[in-house]
Order: sequence, then structure tokens, then C-alpha cells
Amino acid sequence: MSGRSARWVALGIALVAILLLAGLALTAPEHLAVPVMDRAYAGPLDLFPFGADARGRPLLEYAQQGTRVIALPALVAGLMVMAFGVAGGLLACVASGTANTLIQALGEVVGALPRMLVVLVVALVLPKDARGLMPLALVWAVLAAPGAMDEAASVAQRLGGARFVEALRAHGYSGSRIFGWHVVALNLRPVVVRQGAEVMMQVVFLEIALSYLAVAEEQPSFTHADSLVSWADLLNLGYPALVLDVPTLHALVLGLCLIGTIAVLALSLGVAARAR
Amino acid sequence: MVRLVAALALPLLVPAIITALIWALPGDPASIICPPESCGGTAVLAARWNLDAGPMAFFWGWLSGAIHGDFGNSWRLQQGVPVAELLQTAVPNSLVLIALALVPLSLGSALAANGWLPRKADPVLQVVGLVPALVLSLVAAAGVELTYGAASFAGQASWVRLLAGALVLGLADGALSGAITGTRAVFLTENQQRYVGIAVLRGERRLTNTLPNVASALAGQLRARVLHLLSGAVVVEAVLRIDGIGDLLWGGTLLQDFGVVLAAASGFAMLSSLLLVTQALVEIAVAWHVRRAPAVGRLERA
Repeated sequence: MSGRSARWVALGIALVAILLLAGLALTAPEHLAVPVMDRAYAGPLDLFPFGADARGRPLLEYAQQGTRVIALPALVAGLMVMAFGVAGGLLACVASGTANTLIQALGEVVGALPRMLVVLVVALVLPKDARGLMPLALVWAVLAAPGAMDEAASVAQRLGGARFVEALRAHGYSGSRIFGWHVVALNLRPVVVRQGAEVMMQVVFLEIALSYLAVAEEQPSFTHADSLVSWADLLNLGYPALVLDVPTLHALVLGLCLIGTIAVLALSLGVAARAR
Repeated sequence: MVRLVAALALPLLVPAIITALIWALPGDPASIICPPESCGGTAVLAARWNLDAGPMAFFWGWLSGAIHGDFGNSWRLQQGVPVAELLQTAVPNSLVLIALALVPLSLGSALAANGWLPRKADPVLQVVGLVPALVLSLVAAAGVELTYGAASFAGQASWVRLLAGALVLGLADGALSGAITGTRAVFLTENQQRYVGIAVLRGERRLTNTLPNVASALAGQLRARVLHLLSGAVVVEAVLRIDGIGDLLWGGTLLQDFGVVLAAASGFAMLSSLLLVTQALVEIAVAWHVRRAPAVGRLERA
């Protein structure tokens, strides 16, 4: 497959994944359905499309609510990192030396500690009524930003930095065309989109990890209200099927498929944004 | 120099910030731990945990104790148990876990540096790297529980848990693929320098010429990778029930056990400081090595 067709295929896959996730998030019910014990552990063939949990509630609702929990914070974190990346690249085009030093210093400070430590400390001190994925996603995005800025700045410097801009100015190009089209759209796009997609995926994985660890200890999650469930609940429901004789493998498979969808989305966005 | 200063500051800054944040929460810390409406002895508890004299007194009290190896007692996780006791078990376990996880990463980096890993393998590694640590940890935990039982935490089972955890850490979240592609990129860029071509023509090895010049970059990458592993260790230790510092941090956070969180976070800060010091030492060694090299004028005269 040529590079051009690979990019179009990747874009198509990304769009399908985005539509699927948007559909799930937008149709999420406020609360899980009333338990119907007759349908307990129903498989996908008995209760279309994904089966039911131990209380006969449809797993589709788990998927919908879980998507609603992650959708907006992951999107905002991804966009935030993209904005930081663009800023880093543009700074390298207007003030190469100073900007690069500043970005590197920022990276040193922000990246000095393991990200999970910072996220957990923030989760610890969040008041109970302010708990949610959004603040943690924003913290994660801030921690990821220096890396994105550094990589974007390297791309801009390889391009020639300020000299590249001067050369285009000498050709009579306008500022918006130079920075908006030539620098950002043509040259920074691959790295910035990939970084944004990766952070989006990392925020989703962070939510699943934090929620799973809390749910497994029968504690409230840091990332969503107690009335909601997340994809981690699917993994928690499905895990016993691996070690005990509990018929919840369909929950595990659904949870893994949803995680896979996010991974495929991030990967395909990165491929779709690759340079020509 | 900046790194050394940061390395010295981190173990002080992290507990200071956590202390400040504890007091920034609505309500005083003792009431958070023991709400007066549901728990009778809030004032006694505040006095016992040194919470009644304000954040400065608490911080200096905690710090002076910590310097002498006394991190106070656990507030909730294992109520009353000295945190130092918990750390005595947790820190070595986490260090072993990280050291074992570094084995595949170092191996992959060494192979990539020598150009012995085909680029065709990159897509496979990247796909494996997309799998989150939680999923791989669950698979590993299921394997351990099926083989040794759910309550197996001693002897061979504990080592299997550590090895499985290390493998998960080494593979998940792009750790191995990042190490390979990162190292390869550094060497590929350096190999394009003129001096490398000249050295090869003189019959010298490429790696011995490039290594001193890329050592700083590799040290930076190594620090980033260990920090990444430390981050992932929280999830891996909690799922595989490895008695490590990440598990301690998670348990403390979940139960709002500030005593445990302060100590565990300071442990992470100490490890981060050690990494900063290591990177600074590598950079100093490289600078010293470069200064020892003959000056250009001397080379030309020769």
C-alpha cells in the first residue's frame, strides 16, 4: 500500500472509531438500568449486543457510560498537548536559542518526577465534590506538554527555524501562510497530531487504571461519580472469568475491544497525519 | 549544576508541597481523617499525628523524623504501623522490579545501538507497546494466580510476581519500543557526523567513537525511561500485589493516608533525585573526557 493510500485508510479507520465512540458517549444513560436477575450473566446472543452483568444489566450501558467518562477529558488533554506542541514549534521559528533553552528547562522541571506520582498527589488532594477525570487529564497534559514542545521545536529547527521563516518572507509570503500553512500544517502536523493522539490514549488508559485499582478495592474512583461506571468495571467484571468459573468472559472481551479501539484510534490518527 | 540543585531540592520540595496541599484542603487535616460527626477523638488524633500546630510545625517535625529514619505511623492503610517498616519491605521490592524491567530495555537499546535489530520489527514492537500496563498486568496476575493460587506471596511465587511485573513494565506502554527507537535515533544521527566516517576509514569501531558523544543523550533517555517505569510500577505493583513503594503510594492515596503518601512520595522523589545525580555525573564525565581529548591545533601540528 502506498503512503498516500495508507494515510487515507488510517483516516477512515480513525473516523469510524471517533463516530463509534461519539455515538456511545452521546447515548449514555444517566444511570444503569434496573437489575433483572433473570438476565444475569446473559451472553451477547441472549441480550444483544454485548450481554449482561451479574445483575442482568446490559453491558452496553457500561460501554456508553465509560465512553462518556473519558471522551471530553481525553479530547481536551489531546488538544491541549497539540496546542503546546504548536506553540513550541512556532517559538523555535521566531526565537530559536532562547525558546529551546526555555522549553528544555521546563521539561527538566516538569519531567523530574514520575507522572503517576504527580497525578496521584493531585487526586489525593482533590475535594470529593471536584473529583473527576478532567483535572487529572489536564495535569497529565501539562506533564506531557514539554515533551511535545521539545519534539515540535526540534522539527522546526531541522526545518531551519527563523531562517526558514525569513526565506519565505523574502518570497513575499504572508505571516499566516508561513506559520499557519508551511510551519504548522505541513511540517508540525505529523508530530503534533501524533503527540495529541498519544496523550489522548494515555488519559484513557490512566482512567481505566485508576478506576480498576479503586473498583478492585471496592473504593470510589477518583475519575468519575459513584453513580457512573467506566470501562474498568468491565475488566473488573470480566477478570474472574480468567481465574474462576464465572461466565463473564464477554465483559472482559468487550472491555479489551474498547481499549483496542482507543489504541487503534491513536495509531491511525498518527498515521493519517504523517508527512507526505 | 542545575540538575544537582534540582536533585537536592526534590526530596524536600515534594513533602513540602504535599503538606501545603493537605492544609489547602477544605477543613483541617484531622477532620478529614476523622470527621467529628462520625468519629469522636478528632482533637486527640490531631495531637497524636502532630496536626494541631499548623503546616510548618508538621512539616519540620516530619522532616526531622524522616532524617533519622522515622516517617511516623500509617494513619489508615495499616493504622498505627510505622511507615519506616512498610518502606523497609517496599523499597527493595520496587528497586528489584525496576532493575529487572531495565534488563529487556537495556538489551533492546544495546541491540539497537549496534544496528542488530531490523527496522522491520519496529511496527510489531510499537503494536505491543500500545497495550496498557493494566491489561498486561491482569494477564500476568491471572497466570500467577492460576499457577500458585491467589494468596501466594512467598518464596517462588513472590519472585514470579516480580519477574512477571518486570516483564509487563518492560513491554507495556511503549517502554521497549521507545527504548529501541530512541537509542537507534540517537546513534543514527551521530553516525552521520563526518568524524564517524573518518574513524571507520581508519579501521576504528563506530560505536567506540560515537558512544562518548551520545552518552549524555543516552543518560537523559535512561532517566526518562526509569521515570516511566516508576510511573507504571504503581499500576503493576497494585495489580500483581507486589509489596512495593508504588503499591504503598496507591494504597495511601486511595485511603487518604497522608502519612504513607508523604513517605512513599518522598521515596519516589529520592529515586528521581538519584536519577538526576546519575545524569549529571555522566555529563560531567563526558565533559571531562572531551577536555582530555587533544586540542584541534595540536592535532593539526601532529
